[in-house]
Amino acid sequence: MTAALLEARGVTKTFPGVVALKNVSFDVRAGEVHALCGENGAGKSTLIKLLSGVHPYGSYEGELLVDGKPAHFLGVADAQRAGIAAIAQELALVPALSVAENVRLGDWPTESGLVDWVEARRDAREWLEKLGLEADIDAPVESLGAGQRQLVEIAKALRHRARILILDEPTAALAEAEAERLMGLIRELRAQGIGIVYISHRLEEIFTIADRVTVLRDGSTVTTRRVDAADRGSLIRDMVGRDIADLFPRRAPKLGEVRLEARGLTAEGEGGVRKLDSVSFSVRAGEVLGIGGLMGAGRTELLMHVFGAWGKRTRGELLLDGKALLPGLPGDALSAGLALVTEDRRRHGLILEQSVGFNLSLSTLDRLTRGGLLDLEAEAELNERDRADLRIKTPSLDASVGGLSGGNQQKVLVGRARRSAPRVLLLDEPTRGVDVGAKVEIYELINAMTERGLAVILVSSELPELIGMSDRIVMMRGGRVAREFTRAQATQEKLIAAALGQEHA
Amino acid sequence: MSAPARRRISGDVPRALALAAIVATFGALSHDFLGARNLSMLAIELSTTAILALGMFLVILPGHIDLSAGSGVGLIGGIAAVLVTRGGWPAPPAMLAAAAVALLVWFSMGRIIVSQRMPAFIITLGGLLIFKGLFWMVIRNATVPVSPAGDLNVFARLTTTYLPPAWGWALVALIAVLVFARWARRARRGGRYDAEQGFLRALVAVQAAALFVAVTNGFRGVPLPALLLAVSAAATIVLTEHTAFGRRLYAIGGNEEAALLAGIDVDATVIGAYTLMGAAVAVTGFLQTAYAGASTTTVGDLMELDAIAACVIGGTSLKGGRGNARGVLFGSLIMATLLNGMTLLAVPPEIKYVTRGLVLALAVWLDTRLAR
Repeated sequence: MTAALLEARGVTKTFPGVVALKNVSFDVRAGEVHALCGENGAGKSTLIKLLSGVHPYGSYEGELLVDGKPAHFLGVADAQRAGIAAIAQELALVPALSVAENVRLGDWPTESGLVDWVEARRDAREWLEKLGLEADIDAPVESLGAGQRQLVEIAKALRHRARILILDEPTAALAEAEAERLMGLIRELRAQGIGIVYISHRLEEIFTIADRVTVLRDGSTVTTRRVDAADRGSLIRDMVGRDIADLFPRRAPKLGEVRLEARGLTAEGEGGVRKLDSVSFSVRAGEVLGIGGLMGAGRTELLMHVFGAWGKRTRGELLLDGKALLPGLPGDALSAGLALVTEDRRRHGLILEQSVGFNLSLSTLDRLTRGGLLDLEAEAELNERDRADLRIKTPSLDASVGGLSGGNQQKVLVGRARRSAPRVLLLDEPTRGVDVGAKVEIYELINAMTERGLAVILVSSELPELIGMSDRIVMMRGGRVAREFTRAQATQEKLIAAALGQEHA
Repeated sequence: MSAPARRRISGDVPRALALAAIVATFGALSHDFLGARNLSMLAIELSTTAILALGMFLVILPGHIDLSAGSGVGLIGGIAAVLVTRGGWPAPPAMLAAAAVALLVWFSMGRIIVSQRMPAFIITLGGLLIFKGLFWMVIRNATVPVSPAGDLNVFARLTTTYLPPAWGWALVALIAVLVFARWARRARRGGRYDAEQGFLRALVAVQAAALFVAVTNGFRGVPLPALLLAVSAAATIVLTEHTAFGRRLYAIGGNEEAALLAGIDVDATVIGAYTLMGAAVAVTGFLQTAYAGASTTTVGDLMELDAIAACVIGGTSLKGGRGNARGVLFGSLIMATLLNGMTLLAVPPEIKYVTRGLVLALAVWLDTRLAR
């Protein structure tokens, strides 16, 4: 048995009024992937912050050991020097700087006081080649996809001789193919003896990549065991502390008339780039239409376009209940009976510094207006009803929405969309970064809404979710519909093949 | 409700202390400062600063800015003065015409900013220079009185009209009736409303009004501009806290993309804010010009900066999405008091500039320190 590279021994961390970690022990060995899972708020982030020096020595009880020796990190720099690199969900890259500049960020080689760009670029290229990143090293990081950015971040960490990599939800923003590639890279790094702490909400990934898994719940360790001794059901049980009989509670739908139909939608984004090409689909009342595909396949563009928020249509038409729909602005789409829950809730969904109530009623202010003034009483009543109904966990409706957990933020957005009483609901990655418990609640909400005759279009990168929740699935590739599947036909393999364009027969 | 209301608490204490310190200092240095005559003048000066600042607040809330406001104040007042004195127009249509120009110009500026996706900073900086130039052209670099010799028209009376003392007291009574009726209505409905605290607040509001009337009656009575300010302030509070339009301003300032995707017509809302700014510029232009007695090249100078400073001291975030009208009024009071006191003490203009700058920096620093 190899010695632990990094170990936390009986650590307890308290914040005013909250015990975030209770006597937690965790270790990662050389050449191992140790998965860390638990619901949002279980203490994962606190543990990572402790391991990576964000919470300095003295702010917690218990011990941290590096190579078996006590370590006292006073800051992130100390942890970095000890070889620990944490790669957060929100990457620490400077978007406007080039790939090469970012790889060597803050550590530029100098020649008589000036940055030696030849050396910096050579060095950056070398690292990126090692990681298999095919990108122009002079391109600004903002022009890269999410997967490529992550590789830049990993290159940066490895340059600092990181021996322990902490990856926090590394695949959250990645499409299936990019995630696969990342898995390959993780295996390589593991083979080189690097210890990897892997946090993910996607159980499939844990079974694919991890050697051991630790489950946290309410700040305590529930279990640490070998992955081959665990199964899906037991992990979910450990995480939520209860059985989730069926993760995807989709029930047999009662289909109605065609609600929304797209015929040959072709649209261009900025600079006249065609991102949607003759896309046709339809969705019936009570139906969930799943839309899958790789990143850049045009899924988000399609939803945004339907909602009037993206692109210029060059051909095709949209019909809502048989009538032409021409939203020029999201507001038009909303009043026509469409509602959208966006992919990136923090950037495109919520007004983070405002309250939960403010965010819930934002799309329906006109309905709350009587004689020019907002009916604050009626608003508070509706908000209170939604809070109870959606089980939004918040200290108060006046609390700022930015402080809620991912799942609860997502429920606020779903609540806002539902409040407008839409006939068609567009959901873009509604369970990204949401813990298992909240996921199931969101699925149940979707079911409840379709039962009342709502049509739902669900965009998702998670194939199990797509298969589990959709009545039909459209896979997109390069802005076109690659293939349509019925629920019975769909398997993960077939969907991936359609997304990659590698179908035979 | 909610967020804007809660944030007020952290900034209120340092702001009140700053104001108390300023008042105490001037009170000690000059015993005219707290006299009825000076306080009445201060009320007029506060009105011009605060009305412009309230307009500025509506523009800053959605994350925009208006650097052209000061030049606009000069220009709009100048147009009205020229129409009256050189054109021989009666004051009311002259002022209506000038106000229409203001609404149209600010509406257009808003449109250009949103439709051309230009930064508000640049467009309104252009406006600052253009309006200043136009202003001087309109008055031909001369001094244009607000009324032809001796004739006291409405324009000239704007800042020389006072309510008869009895009317002032009637006003207090009216305010008391309105405030307590509202309190009774809310208390009866119950819910989350804290009736006891509400009563105290209503009482303080009525007492403040009574004190104000008592003091101004000691000179000539409640000045007309103070009434205009009260109406503007009430309108701004209702607009920002009790209408969909106000909510939308906060949402756009907080996260413009999210606001758009929530179905808000961002462009129309921002244009609306600029148009209201135009109205504030017009009212301030008439008041400021009337107070000076004539339109001269310096009317409105740097008023945009006082307005922005008042917003910021009042806790408005220049990034947008944060702040409230009561804070802006408080910020205006600090700026106006400072200027009034220094003028009374005959502080040289160079020192006035430095002091105002220091107070602005200090106030914001204090606010951010204490907010932590």
